[in-house]
Amino acid sequence: MGQTDNRQAWKPIFFQAIITGLLLLLAQGNPVPVGAQSDAGSNIPDLVGVWDGGGRVRPVNGPNMPWTPDNFPVLNERALAYQGVFDEALAPKYDCVPSSSPALQYDPYFMEVVQWPDRVMFRYEKDDQLRTVWLDDRTPTPQDHTIQGFSVGHYQEGALVVETTHFLFDVTGFDDYNGIPSSQLKKVTERYWREGEELRMTLTLEDPMFLREPASYTTRWLPGPEGYKLQGYACDPVQARRAVKFMIPKYR
Amino acid sequence: MKLFLSISALCALLVVVLLTTGVPTNAHHASAPFYDDQKSVEAIGVVKEFVFRNPHAFLYIDAENSQGEIISWEVEMGAAVSMVRRGWTPETIKAGDQIRVVGPPSRAPGTFGICCAELTRPDGSPITLPGQRP
Repeated sequence: MGQTDNRQAWKPIFFQAIITGLLLLLAQGNPVPVGAQSDAGSNIPDLVGVWDGGGRVRPVNGPNMPWTPDNFPVLNERALAYQGVFDEALAPKYDCVPSSSPALQYDPYFMEVVQWPDRVMFRYEKDDQLRTVWLDDRTPTPQDHTIQGFSVGHYQEGALVVETTHFLFDVTGFDDYNGIPSSQLKKVTERYWREGEELRMTLTLEDPMFLREPASYTTRWLPGPEGYKLQGYACDPVQARRAVKFMIPKYR
Repeated sequence: MKLFLSISALCALLVVVLLTTGVPTNAHHASAPFYDDQKSVEAIGVVKEFVFRNPHAFLYIDAENSQGEIISWEVEMGAAVSMVRRGWTPETIKAGDQIRVVGPPSRAPGTFGICCAELTRPDGSPITLPGQRP
């Protein structure tokens, strides 16, 4: 009888504690873990992981991929003049200089994505490249001109939108295959989103120094093998240039 | 049981096909400016060196031509990072191994390059990758 009385006495205190706890949780809001969006309605897509962009996932890059007759940009006279005199033997890739956007994203290798609250990092197995996309509204300085440019981003309707500027002039900076350069005016906009297990991206390229209008391609990645870690690339410049002698020289 | 055996036989055939199919060059440069894919050459010889690096692995072999001369061939292969995922290691091919290479020859006169090659032992048997049965 005494025990029953005690339980009755504790009941209001117990329920009050539960209600207080719930109110405290609500007051804290509902923090969204970065990169943990599979929930409908969340603005942040889950892009974290190692992604396979190889030949089993999409056609391998080349002179007609990903820029096909349907999406190949209209070149201006300057670009056509550069393309006309271009000599494949002087392409920087034969000296282990990495490709830049928009070619880098379509190289048929793996990439790893890490999402932090203030940045998203893209690490590419090809040429050991790392791109940081800043989400904290910082702005570039003149010292931020690099081969991969300066990237800022934001989440929008379940996608990561990245804008990259401040590129260096790149003699093969359009696609690494067609002898078309890109300039310091190059601007690359990428939109990444999830479709089921796929990672998808639409890339739009602008470069008024060489292109008459913007051009776009869309591609995808699939999850890499469970537990796969990106390998070091350690490009060997001797091996990179070895095949050049097999071409019939354009200039003597 | 019969169906299982048929599927097993099909899988075994696929493995052999994969092993005897060469490693294409890709992703770093197009092959067309370097190699003539309208032609094919065969070289049977001894491996001098297998350089397993990026952006392309290379295989160096000495092979006798029809005039009895020794030709030093340079065989361009895929990127080491991609080949690793298919089971290749720096030890898959060793100096002194006998090998047969068939593929498009290099374009520049006086050069002896081969690309995108089919690699087998001289008798046509496949090169076995670690973890795979011959």
